[in-house]
Amino acid sequence: MNLDLGAPRLDVGDERVVAFLDRFGRRLLTLGRRFPELASLGFFLRRAEIERELSRLDGLRQPRGVVFHVPPANVDTVFVYSWALSALAGNINVVRISPRAGAAARAILDVWQELDEPVITRTQRMITYDRDDELTAELSAAADLRVLWGGDDSVRALRKFPLQPHARDLTFPDRSSFAIISVTAWQRASARERRSAVEAFFTDAYWFDQAACSSPRGVFWVGDQDVSAEFRALLVAVTQEKGHVTEPAMAVQNRVSTYGAAADGRVARISFDSDAVTSLESTDVLREWLGVGVFTHSRVSSLAELVPKVRRKDQTVTHFGFEQAELIDFAKRSGVDRVVPFGSALRFFPVWDGYHLLTEFTKLITVTV
Amino acid sequence: MSLVPELAELTAYHRERCAEYDRILAALGAGDTFAEVADLPWLPVRLFKTHELKSIPDSEVFRVLTSSGTTGAPSRIFLDKAAAAAQTRQLSATLQRVLGPSRLPMLVVDRKSIVRSSSARGAGVLGMANFGRKHVYLLDESEQPDLAALQRFLDTHGGEPFLVFGFTFLVWQYLYVLAREHGLDLSNGILIHSGGWKKLADRAVDNAEFRRRFAEDTGLRRIHNYYGMVEQIGTVFVEGPSGDGLYCPDFADVVIRDPRTWAEQPVGVPGVIEVVSTLPRSYPGHVLLTEDLGVCHGIDDGDWPGKRFTVLGRLPKAEVRGCSDTVAA
Repeated sequence: MNLDLGAPRLDVGDERVVAFLDRFGRRLLTLGRRFPELASLGFFLRRAEIERELSRLDGLRQPRGVVFHVPPANVDTVFVYSWALSALAGNINVVRISPRAGAAARAILDVWQELDEPVITRTQRMITYDRDDELTAELSAAADLRVLWGGDDSVRALRKFPLQPHARDLTFPDRSSFAIISVTAWQRASARERRSAVEAFFTDAYWFDQAACSSPRGVFWVGDQDVSAEFRALLVAVTQEKGHVTEPAMAVQNRVSTYGAAADGRVARISFDSDAVTSLESTDVLREWLGVGVFTHSRVSSLAELVPKVRRKDQTVTHFGFEQAELIDFAKRSGVDRVVPFGSALRFFPVWDGYHLLTEFTKLITVTV
Repeated sequence: MSLVPELAELTAYHRERCAEYDRILAALGAGDTFAEVADLPWLPVRLFKTHELKSIPDSEVFRVLTSSGTTGAPSRIFLDKAAAAAQTRQLSATLQRVLGPSRLPMLVVDRKSIVRSSSARGAGVLGMANFGRKHVYLLDESEQPDLAALQRFLDTHGGEPFLVFGFTFLVWQYLYVLAREHGLDLSNGILIHSGGWKKLADRAVDNAEFRRRFAEDTGLRRIHNYYGMVEQIGTVFVEGPSGDGLYCPDFADVVIRDPRTWAEQPVGVPGVIEVVSTLPRSYPGHVLLTEDLGVCHGIDDGDWPGKRFTVLGRLPKAEVRGCSDTVAA
């Protein structure tokens, strides 16, 4: 891997990068029909959004230097967010793209090549390789910051490659997420509001096969009555309307994992509401990935009762029907990273897992006179 | 005779003895009366990879069988003495139908050391070796065919019925090719083979072609493919003499299921194969959903009485997206 040391220096918020990201984003927006996730990515990269992000940086900041990104293989867009913010910070970036990356990732790379901007191509690299310890070691040794996304095991494996003494890792390991619904708010909501809540939940859960860190794996019903039956029926209807198809192998996967959870005594009841919706009765959310369209339904009488169930691993809470003050109080007491309304689980935020990425991608300089 | 009463009794038996199995059936709201075989609750066969399921106390475990999965953990199947004896007995009863009552000289299309490996191939050879005598192994330790050994075997035993056993792909690649090239006469052989057609599909060899070419080029006409798995050890589904499908032993059955509704498919419509057997008593493996696709061709309309079916291949793997999948370096 030949890093171009004579490459032009970039500043934090370099205009050439901002202009490139804007162009890049606009091109991705045109692909949004085929890949809906590229539309949200495209929006994120527009000049207005990027400048808003830059304005959040305080103090005297410099790029960190060389940043080596290892994004997850199967979430097609994460590598762009990770890279774009680091490029915006003025870093030289090397992004490892998995050869198993999906169609959306390939579409992104096509746009990347098509735009072919000299300042960018000399400072920014997207490289595809599968398993190559030598190259990983070399890139790790060259990095000032290494950004690791993915499962706990792969983060552990990658951490074995030494960094320079001053360098460090920014890791985004396995996380899990769940939804909370206020029973009284649900009961008060109109039929239309309930339906659109379920449609938003569908987006949160079914995009990325319920396997993204922020995809809800279960629902906590907060209140005194059980109104989950209507939600489940609506979800069956919405999956049908959206044309969601469960492949036979996935249907088998759902059975293996849910029967296994029952064997362990972790679920009291399994209901196959349709081929696309499996509902589990359980006192807690099951945090591991069980399949596509598999949800625990659990009851708690209040958010306070939910607090002790929250674990370090829990990342995103998608909510329906709560007041802002309740949510802030819950977030503070439970320690989750992110609380968002239904429909926003998969939206990328420049603050992720508790890190403000742009801050992490820069270093703070102090000058005292 | 319907298997339903015995299967219902087995279901209750395992629920009493295997807490995990009982919890699964309770979570599914399974009842205890069943009108048809297809009404019985099934377990996905992969559950034996993720969980230890047994209906005998630890002190009674006599043998633990493991499958050779290409990925992940192997299945673990627990047998007590009675179950180990029953599986040998029933396998023998099933194979007698094609082999007759006496042990035949046996040509194994594999290497001798395979029985010491923990592979499916090894387990297959080990299980089948009981049904032959004077075993000769066709492959040497570097997996090359030993023509001299084959010729000696045929000189000694080729004039009387003999048993040939091996994995489908090896049988084709080594035995067929060698016999054809050297004009060997295999017409007294009875071939029992298993393992699937995937590797042969590249060479455009399917079951019909396999049978035709063996018959034309080597004289070998008594060919029986079979289907079975370690999770239902002792139960094998053997192909009829004309190759018109796999048949169930009288203590077993298959149900072809629609992968969307899981209802039983009508004759002629492919689906996921569920294997049913009254044999498993030491672990709750009497009704298992496999990850194989198959189709039922007919009932009581072929070589032998009963249901006849074919295995069409593996279920295609599910591709999953998600964050937790960065593969290390």
